[in-house]
Amino acid sequence: MDTFLRAFTEGILLGGVYALIALGVVMVFKASKVFNLAHGGVLMFLAYLTWWLLDPKGLPLWVSLLILTLVAAIFGLTLDRLIFRPLIGQTMLVTFIITLVLGFTVIPGVAMLFWGGRPQVMHIFPSGSMSIGPVTFSYTFLLSFIIATAMFLIFVILFRYTKTGLLMRCVSEDNLISQSLGINVKWIYAISWVVGCLSAATGAILLGSMFAVNSDLGWLAIVHALPVVLLGGLESIPGAFIGAIFVGLSEVFAGTYVDPHISGFRELMPYILMVLILMFRPHGLFGLKRIERI
Amino acid sequence: MLPGGVFSTKYETDVAILRTKTQWFLLALGIMFLFVIPLFAPDYWLSQLTYLAIVIVAVLGLHVLTGLCGQISIGHAAFMAVGAYAIAILTTRYEPFGADGDWIWAWLCLPISALAAGLVGLIFGLPCFKLKGFYLAISTLAAWYIIIWCLKYDGFSSVTGGFIGLPLDPLHIGGTIEGGQAKGALIDFSSRGSLYCLAVAVMIVAAFIAKNIQRTSAGRAFVAIRDNELAAEVNGINIFRYKMLAFFIGCLFAGVAGWLWAHSQLRVNPNQFSLLDSIWYVGMLIIGGWGSTSGVFFGAAFLKLLEIGMTDYITPWLGDMLPSIKLQVHVATDIVRGMVIVLFMMLAPRGIYYLGERLKIYYRLHPYAYWAR
Repeated sequence: MDTFLRAFTEGILLGGVYALIALGVVMVFKASKVFNLAHGGVLMFLAYLTWWLLDPKGLPLWVSLLILTLVAAIFGLTLDRLIFRPLIGQTMLVTFIITLVLGFTVIPGVAMLFWGGRPQVMHIFPSGSMSIGPVTFSYTFLLSFIIATAMFLIFVILFRYTKTGLLMRCVSEDNLISQSLGINVKWIYAISWVVGCLSAATGAILLGSMFAVNSDLGWLAIVHALPVVLLGGLESIPGAFIGAIFVGLSEVFAGTYVDPHISGFRELMPYILMVLILMFRPHGLFGLKRIERI
Repeated sequence: MLPGGVFSTKYETDVAILRTKTQWFLLALGIMFLFVIPLFAPDYWLSQLTYLAIVIVAVLGLHVLTGLCGQISIGHAAFMAVGAYAIAILTTRYEPFGADGDWIWAWLCLPISALAAGLVGLIFGLPCFKLKGFYLAISTLAAWYIIIWCLKYDGFSSVTGGFIGLPLDPLHIGGTIEGGQAKGALIDFSSRGSLYCLAVAVMIVAAFIAKNIQRTSAGRAFVAIRDNELAAEVNGINIFRYKMLAFFIGCLFAGVAGWLWAHSQLRVNPNQFSLLDSIWYVGMLIIGGWGSTSGVFFGAAFLKLLEIGMTDYITPWLGDMLPSIKLQVHVATDIVRGMVIVLFMMLAPRGIYYLGERLKIYYRLHPYAYWAR
């Protein structure tokens, strides 16, 4: 029973962080219909940047966070302006391949070139752990979950209740009509990319402190974001959260109960989920069923 | 567009792949040149060219799947791994013809490893029953990880060799193997030159088959599915069946490439089939030009030459210029290759093949700048 409770808590805490990472992918997809596989690469780049600012450069935490936010925003704007704005109107497969190539070769490559790609440790959260009854968890996981959920809620509130959020929802429905209504669609695309990169920046801090900062961090992030996004349906934000908790739970349960029998099953779990979701519920739990016209 | 004075007067000339005597002459010259290379090329270039020929076989499969049918696969390296492991496992575990007949078994494994890759491809193609576009690509991404995981997994290591992989005997015709060397063989494929010739021969046959798949009814169905899935379905094409067929054919090619790969390395191991390789295969297809068989050759050669140029000349120079990044300077190759793919995608989405065609049209119409299309 204790094992179960421990796994359950860890699964939910992990799920919260996955939700935030997946949110970045969903945001960009909702606005500009680009399936952003580069999210993981950006996250890994920003994680190394954070470590570099904090450790070798020795800047205080708030300065590093400020620089990180700025860099993430500039990263988003650059990606949007230089690569994805010229490609508006291209099919989804074209942008998909471009994000694939960027996210798996170019962006992680640049990070490796700058920082060498060796595993590094990032100290932001206090070490130590606390226990409630039989369950023990580290402050890092708890704080990460709280920060991730808070950021998730902030993004959702922005999306739901502000004017920009309304415009973003409008553009995601139909960008042509939005344009004719006088909405600056390009600007909305740019904002969605910035939001995506900010979510990657937060994810970089959280994942970087939960695990080590290394060259596989981006891979870890995108691989867990994919089943979340697929399960939630690409269009649904609440779906992303529920999907993330589900993915976190199933991963930790697989790690706790199956790993002793089949070693390394935990790493395989997200992929099995991906294939199963794609085979049986391709539109996710809450996604839209598309009706196609010629 | 054809040169001036060439007209189609018969149906046969209209459907022929090669139309003019010049084309026949150039093709024969090109093929002869390919087989003459081992006489003068140094070993380093021969092994690079062998690798290139093997990659082209794999990319030809991707061409059928992605270029013709429009289904992107980013797990192609894993399907190649299935082919390579099939031959490695079958030749190390079984000896159906005894020690003297081992070479027959190695050759018989060629269709078996192709089929193995094809069948594994079918499993991961199953989601295409409901899905299209990048959803399917994600399923092939998962396929890559799951296959490589299975190859690395400890529990299967009695079969697959786990992390270490499996050794192979060199390919040969006639004779027997003694201590890793072929004895008394009619043809021994353990030298670089002979292996290169084998790879090129397989590549030419594969290109011929791929080109002709394009001209069958199945090939036209693939193109129809790529161009408009709904319209294809309305026209009576069974989409699921043809997509699965495209997956099967694409993975057959990957299996053959894996068979060649295993014999060129004489060892298979899970790290030889990375996700980046799959991405480069897609990149080769993009750079060459979607949906053209000859484009595959241009794209693969371009990306390979870029890689050789970067790793042999530019990154050592860069490492000397900037000693602080000397240890990790090799990733510059990946960055440049990735950027080239992105730039091609943005600026010349129809690839080198189309640029070449435009040049040809310009040349043939020269004084008159009218365009055929």
